[in-house]
Amino acid sequence: MIMAEIKAKTEEKPSCLDTLARNPLYVGLAIGLLAAFVQVLLISAGGPEAYGFCVACHTRDVVNVAVNDLAGTKLAVAAISQNAILPVMTVIGVLIGAFVSAQYYKEFRTKAGSAVSYIWYLLGGILFMIFALFMGGCPYRMGLRIGYGDVVALIGVIAIIAGVLIGIKIATSMAEREG
Amino acid sequence: MVAAGWLTKDVAVIAVPLVTLFLGLLIGWLGQRSGFCSIGGFRDFFMFKHTRLLYGYIALIVGAFIGYLVFWLITPTAFENFFWLIGKGLMPVPGAPAGLTVAAYIVLAVVGGIAVGLIGVLLGGCPLRQVVMTSEGNIKSLGFVIGMCIGAVVYTAWISGLAVTLLKALGIA
Repeated sequence: MIMAEIKAKTEEKPSCLDTLARNPLYVGLAIGLLAAFVQVLLISAGGPEAYGFCVACHTRDVVNVAVNDLAGTKLAVAAISQNAILPVMTVIGVLIGAFVSAQYYKEFRTKAGSAVSYIWYLLGGILFMIFALFMGGCPYRMGLRIGYGDVVALIGVIAIIAGVLIGIKIATSMAEREG
Repeated sequence: MVAAGWLTKDVAVIAVPLVTLFLGLLIGWLGQRSGFCSIGGFRDFFMFKHTRLLYGYIALIVGAFIGYLVFWLITPTAFENFFWLIGKGLMPVPGAPAGLTVAAYIVLAVVGGIAVGLIGVLLGGCPLRQVVMTSEGNIKSLGFVIGMCIGAVVYTAWISGLAVTLLKALGIA
């Protein structure tokens, strides 16, 4: 009975924490602060610096360590993932965390696409990873590196903005041609 | 000098997967609730003048700077090269292929950045958004994430070395 009342109340009014979590401003601030906290906690395990959160590099570390273990190869990974008992698990955490959140708030919807679209996304993922690793990170690690004082990362983000503008041009011209 | 954080090396090597998994759970929840996306932030700003997501990405940079500054004041040994520009100049933080010149790193950042922005806009999101959408049930995004995994191995095994050879042949590296 009491539990039902509490549940009814929380459904009426979204919790304070959820209001914060739904605002990208606070989320960005939290990710930046947490990335710095992770570095002060774990840097003894190995570098590089400004490596607290990166979707591209952390995925590379997990995949390469797994491939190294299974196939006996010697693919390079970041020192922190090489030294630790297991590589950085951030991306696996994101997958689980977002799944639990989507289930909890009833926002999980299976969205299928055409067979052609799957091939485009697969190719896009391959190319995205390769070019992100050219820069030495995904847009998030570039942000962390700018905060750390890295000028090349700033140039990288300006290049990302240029790429976005080119992409918008292509997308709008494609939309106009279709009708 | 070896970088030293709050945990000693023996403890840190065990803590790495646990701490990063917990960090990921937190970012996954926050990312799912907010729809956080870096490339989406730029796209929404230039297409619709929406600043919601863009401010999120700027806040990430500001938050990182504040975090690094505060923890550097508390434990300077964990942030050996903070503030990077002062100690290391234009040389970037390690991550891209090692042992190149500043000019080569700028070329890599420009080429990589333009491609990342372009692909991100055409496929509707940066890698974090793709991972979050995968967890929300989007099968196209799952294709993107699988692609990223394949791309990681392809890059490390072949592309990285090829890129360095090419840069050296062009006389940039």
